[in-house]
Amino acid sequence: MNSRILWLLLWLLGAGLLCTAGAVSAVETQELTGTNPNPVRLVRPQTAPLSAMAQLGRQIFYDASLSSSGKLSCASCHSPDHAYGPPNDEPVMLGGPAMSRQGGRAVPSLTYLERQPNFSIGPEQSDDDNIVGLAQMAALGQQTARATKTATQTTVSAVNIVPQGGLFWDGRADTLQDQAMFPLLDPREMDGGSVEQVADKLRHAPYAESFTGLFGVGIFSSSDMLVSEAMFAVARYQIEDPSFHPYTSKYDYWLEGKAQLSESELRGLQLFNDPDKANCGGCHLSRPTRDRMPPLFTDHQYEALGAPRNAALADNRDPKHFDLGACGPQRTDITDQTQYCGMFQTPTLRNTATRRVFFHNGIFRSLQEVMDFYNFRDTNPEKVYPRAADGTVQKYDDIPAKYEANVDVTDPPFDRHPGETPAMTAQDEADIIAFLKTLTDGYQPKP
Amino acid sequence: MSVMSAALLCSNPVSADQDNQGNNQGGDHSHGVHTATPIKHLVVIFNENRSFDHYFATYPVAGNPSGEIPFKAKPHTPKVNNLANANLLTNNPNFTNTANGSGAANPFRLDRTQANTKSQNHAYTPEQEAYDNGKADLFPKFTGKGTAGGVGAFGTNGQVMGYFDGNTVTAFWNYAQNFAMNDNNYTDTYGPSTPGALEVVSGQTNGAKNIVGTSSSVPDTQGGLTLNGDTDPAYDQCSSATNQVLMTSKNIGDLLNAAQISWGGFMGGFDLTLSNSNGTSGCARSTVSTNVGGTITDYVPHHAWFQYYASTANPTHARPSSVDAIGHTFAKNGKTDPANHEYDLEDFYAAVKAGNFPAVSYIKMPAFQDGHPGNSDPLDEQVGNVELINFLQTQREWNDTAIIITYDDSDGWYDHAYATPTSASYDSTADQVNGAGLCGAGADEQPQPLGLNGKPVNGRCGPGTRVPFLVISPFAKQNFVSHDRISQASVVRFIEDNWLNGKRLGGGSFDATAGSIMDLFDFDHGHNGLGFGNQTNQLFLDPNAGTVVSAPDDHHH
Repeated sequence: MNSRILWLLLWLLGAGLLCTAGAVSAVETQELTGTNPNPVRLVRPQTAPLSAMAQLGRQIFYDASLSSSGKLSCASCHSPDHAYGPPNDEPVMLGGPAMSRQGGRAVPSLTYLERQPNFSIGPEQSDDDNIVGLAQMAALGQQTARATKTATQTTVSAVNIVPQGGLFWDGRADTLQDQAMFPLLDPREMDGGSVEQVADKLRHAPYAESFTGLFGVGIFSSSDMLVSEAMFAVARYQIEDPSFHPYTSKYDYWLEGKAQLSESELRGLQLFNDPDKANCGGCHLSRPTRDRMPPLFTDHQYEALGAPRNAALADNRDPKHFDLGACGPQRTDITDQTQYCGMFQTPTLRNTATRRVFFHNGIFRSLQEVMDFYNFRDTNPEKVYPRAADGTVQKYDDIPAKYEANVDVTDPPFDRHPGETPAMTAQDEADIIAFLKTLTDGYQPKP
Repeated sequence: MSVMSAALLCSNPVSADQDNQGNNQGGDHSHGVHTATPIKHLVVIFNENRSFDHYFATYPVAGNPSGEIPFKAKPHTPKVNNLANANLLTNNPNFTNTANGSGAANPFRLDRTQANTKSQNHAYTPEQEAYDNGKADLFPKFTGKGTAGGVGAFGTNGQVMGYFDGNTVTAFWNYAQNFAMNDNNYTDTYGPSTPGALEVVSGQTNGAKNIVGTSSSVPDTQGGLTLNGDTDPAYDQCSSATNQVLMTSKNIGDLLNAAQISWGGFMGGFDLTLSNSNGTSGCARSTVSTNVGGTITDYVPHHAWFQYYASTANPTHARPSSVDAIGHTFAKNGKTDPANHEYDLEDFYAAVKAGNFPAVSYIKMPAFQDGHPGNSDPLDEQVGNVELINFLQTQREWNDTAIIITYDDSDGWYDHAYATPTSASYDSTADQVNGAGLCGAGADEQPQPLGLNGKPVNGRCGPGTRVPFLVISPFAKQNFVSHDRISQASVVRFIEDNWLNGKRLGGGSFDATAGSIMDLFDFDHGHNGLGFGNQTNQLFLDPNAGTVVSAPDDHHH
């Protein structure tokens, strides 16, 4: 940021005014309103009454009988009252036949996936007639320079040849239909047994008649097809039902000029998008797309951030166990691309303030802890990581030493060094958290 | 048909009122041109990647689940050669053949909510392997492996066996009910988009010349190459920087130019000077599709028929000098028009509105509406097609216009109707339909077709896969299904028969052997003789629902 703009911003912020984030490209003075000086018209997903397919999907989504315990449905962990994320403050959810097994990772939200790109390395290819395989793209990625990610240069980093997209923390499913199969069959989650067992339950479900109406009487003769159709119905429910992508946050209305941000929220937004401060917007994109769709607050790319190990996870009792995200163990097709070990997909920040666990291993319990991690990981690692018996700080204690080079030390604020001034003050962090709270859906703009 | 035969016999010299240099008055010159049939305007809408059974497997009977707009067939709808009538909906060989593994499946209905699907494998060799020497029982194994599609896409084991019905491809079923369709139409060779695009304008895929990098091609055994995959056209400003190919054969544009008949290739995204509402422009101009949940680049170079030929290419996408010049080699002032017959789809609308409707127009929708799974879907495809067809039906020229809707390839979707190769090829790796290295009965018994240089060449294994073919015209027979064997090159043949006294391209083009589409027309009766504006001439549809409406809603154009 050049000094003239910085001066202008400081002047404006000092006056309790606005910021240049989001779609706001020009800075202009105005009254002390906190409104967006350059409102935009956002294009939200079209809404229509649920199709028969989506109505069937809704019934399956809430059907706990598909789990071995009889107590878990999709909605148990993807709670509609918690932005389709986990309803409690446990790092991972419990499942299995006796509801006693820990799930592998913190439960991601099911919201805002309707525009999720497929998993790819480098920008998604639009032409499927000439497919370049993941391994080939990974090789290309190793020869190609990766642009540093800053909130003001996101179009440059968007073409980085790095993993991006897909569903789950590791992108191992591309469609919501495929995604739904994993928790359904995972012995630590719904533990539905085999496709055959699930199909048998569907054949006798109270909504079984809907299958014959939609797919014909032959549908019950193929278990594979029956379960595929059922999972597609679940996916279709998520695509059609507006509650999965409402775009009704205070920030959305602010973008449209229909809501005012407080001074703290405006400051937070500015810091969020300031490459010299939090630089959150480098990955958590905050501006509407060129198609005027509301921002998703993720660029869908993968990052190894080196979050601390979570001793509360049963898996971690084995000191040799490491959850390495894109390169395994849950994802198995690119385990040999070790340059991606430790990388997880950047999640949306929409509704993040409603969560009580953060990051893939649920290590953080509050947004304050998350902000401290970004702020102190490199300048004061002792505030983030535990100390060993000899007193040394165990930085990157959840990544094997051979993969530590994968950790991001270039994108601000992760480009700092011990002893340097942290990127944010305590007030900065508080303001950013205030801003993050404007990303929670259900805001009622004043008429 | 008697009128037709007589008309073809009297091969009059072309009339004087033609597209001579500098005589273009900007009016509808096409009316003065001699044609063998009453058709003065042909519009070929060339869509992407659907097999016949994939769209018409149960025609004219739709599933009609509750909550969806029902489709009801007219009485006396003729039978078509589809899965329902061939009794292949259950106990299908793709289900019973254990070689398909976990992909083994019977055909199944795809719902309107499943319009967005994965794309299947539609390469030259896997499509041959799926046909398994005529048994047509290895689709899940060989073509049932595609890309994922969007996050809301439907995909399953054996998905290649899926088909849509009149609850999704409603417009096409309605067109078939009111106009004419052929259920025996094939791609001229196996393989993906580019070979199909070349066949429908030239009937020839031999004569490929690598310009940048390599091309997706087969050595033709005569020292040349036959294109059997997708490679971008040479020199096109939007083409891949690593692989570009040029075709050295003639195409129908050359013959139309020689006869001074107006024509054009009109493609969504071709005009690099336009900006879309999202601010994109140039080669990257793009459109959002909510159905596929993504932003799709409008122009696809490897679909651009005429860009592959030095004589008909417009590599810089130069703009026509005026709306009046569209379709013409020369502008009003006598100078050669820079566009060289290659335009944007918007130019087609503009030219027709200005009364300058070319004789022959090839149309490619912007990619989100081209029908190709992954970047498009049947619902977006329907919007683009219906809007254009509604528009054309309101034009003064509708009374002597014919629209053909057909496809570049099947995408690999299951179609039960195997065609014994009439165009043989014996490449040891690429050809597999009748056994290893075999497409045909063997070189001794069934030699390969002649290539561009008059010698037998490899790489033209065909007919390939069966794809839809509809004719919408006042002269189309009503609710009629033709079973005559035709192919993409039949379009070339029709243009030659109608405008060029049956002249052929030569150089081994399939136009010489392709079947005739005349069975789809009735020039004595058809819908015609009822006058412009008569309701039986026209069928206006709702672009989104595909259902019949009384008047078009021209909201886009």
